[in-house]
Amino acid sequence: MNRILFHMEMRRNARSLILWSLIICALIFFTMTFFRSVLQYQQQIMDMIKLVPAAALKARGFGNLEDIFSGLGFYAANNIVYMELLGSIFAMVLCANILLKEEYGKTAEFLMSWPVGRKEIFLSKLTLAFLNIFLLNLVTALVGLVSLELFKSGAFRIKPYLILTLYTFLLNLLFGACGLLVAALHKRARPVSSFCVGLVMVCYFLYTISRISGVKGDFGYVSPFKWVSIDVLKPDYRVEVWSILLFCALTMIMILASFVIYRKKDILT
Amino acid sequence: MIQICSGPEKQHTVKLQEGASGILMMLKRPAPDTMNIIEIQNLSKYYRRSRGIEDITLNVRQGDIFGFIGPNGAGKSTTIRILLNLIFPTSGTARIFGMDAVRDSRAIRGRIGFVPSDANLYDRMKVTEFLHYSAAFYTRDDRSDRINELAKILELDIERKIHELSSGNKKKVSIIQSLIHHPELLILDEPTVGLDPLIQSRFFNLLREENGSGTTIFFSSHVLSEVQALCKTVGIVRNGKIIKVEEIATLRKKQLKKITAVFPEETDLKSLGIRGIESAELTSGRTLIFLFSGDINDLIGIISGMQIENLIIEEPPLEEIFLHFYADHKEQ
Repeated sequence: MNRILFHMEMRRNARSLILWSLIICALIFFTMTFFRSVLQYQQQIMDMIKLVPAAALKARGFGNLEDIFSGLGFYAANNIVYMELLGSIFAMVLCANILLKEEYGKTAEFLMSWPVGRKEIFLSKLTLAFLNIFLLNLVTALVGLVSLELFKSGAFRIKPYLILTLYTFLLNLLFGACGLLVAALHKRARPVSSFCVGLVMVCYFLYTISRISGVKGDFGYVSPFKWVSIDVLKPDYRVEVWSILLFCALTMIMILASFVIYRKKDILT
Repeated sequence: MIQICSGPEKQHTVKLQEGASGILMMLKRPAPDTMNIIEIQNLSKYYRRSRGIEDITLNVRQGDIFGFIGPNGAGKSTTIRILLNLIFPTSGTARIFGMDAVRDSRAIRGRIGFVPSDANLYDRMKVTEFLHYSAAFYTRDDRSDRINELAKILELDIERKIHELSSGNKKKVSIIQSLIHHPELLILDEPTVGLDPLIQSRFFNLLREENGSGTTIFFSSHVLSEVQALCKTVGIVRNGKIIKVEEIATLRKKQLKKITAVFPEETDLKSLGIRGIESAELTSGRTLIFLFSGDINDLIGIISGMQIENLIIEEPPLEEIFLHFYADHKEQ
């Protein structure tokens, strides 16, 4: 890894990280402020929810009607949209552009005339991107925890919260690695943000449809969103080894593939 | 395939007596005065089906200022990008300082400076930040003095933001970053684009100074006059192939003369029967301008028997010599 390049990338990406963190934290916090109102109007909301098809509730992330009246359940359902979806978009766009922007910005000609190898460039950018993803997850997890503490109706178990946070982090890393692969495979020097957003959205909708479809929704496993267990209120909620291994293995494979391709790639500015 | 060297490939034999065994070892190595900094062998690059460069063989000697000239799309930038390992060759090899341009690219980069044709910099930075960032890759020492010295020569305000700069000033930034660390080899791709004549002149003086202190310069351009003004050796590239590599002085001594003959009345070019006429142009039926590569005595012999109003024999500008080689190559 190259220290100079790493510091430079940190400066270049700091604004984006701060902005994304602020937006997601604000969304988490303000959504959790509604939890008190949900509890206050519990009966009215129950009556209203009964009119909503169960599938639609599942699609939104609520396994049972009662989940909405638990602080952790309420948080987990919203976490799908805020951290799983938005966090994954952030991760994939960041990782794809961190490699590609030197090409479409035409600064690669400078960078690659300085004494720094492709391996160092890749590792510096990868480390910085994954550090940003980690920081985003850390900050949002802390804000989520504080929000839960502030607006909870009763005691909640911390373990499911941490497991959900771990899943979210691994999901974001997976999409980050996917972004690197897209950048390495991309031959034309132009931004791929739209493609990245599109890919994450497609995965999210596949997952959503699979939840609505119930048993027939096994096709949803093609989407990494499906590998995240969100049933935080189940007493036996725990880390599923298969999904953790799947996340880690796929992330590693995509990083390695990106590295191999990037080292042999023609940098066309 | 064209195989040309930019200079004589002298080789000498060194005899070594190794210890008591008395075995004589015959070692062949290039003479120090002809050491090649850049060695390109049968280098080709294709972008899918389209041609980048084809079978280029070229050597650049240490201490040379090598002009790499050709029209846009000839393959100059492709060659440079392979040297910098931005792109990979389809076949052939490129070596810099005796090291492989692909395998040893990182080690090579520590000893070169590069000015790209488009000065696309990190727009959000200040000039001084960019220059210190660039310098930091080479050394941990403070390079402020060197940066200020170069900025003063090129009249650049280094406290400005890069996005506020004109293309000419961006080019200056690009030039400065290539010179901060006193590179052993400077690779310049159309470096004068956007520079005004005064700064261009200072830049050339700067290059001559660097060359005087041992820097080899690979100067890619399509502007012949600047190659003529600066370079010692020139390589002409067209359609991805090297047409000619020659020392500029030798190129001028090729007995190629530009002749302008004004006749008192309209003349038929064919009726003159002069051998060695090339690129002839007859204007108004009376003024004949042509490049002559034959024996000048034969020409004078023929012309002496003719009625002539005026005769001018001069050294052609490099541009015309250059076009002459292009024409030759096309005919081949």
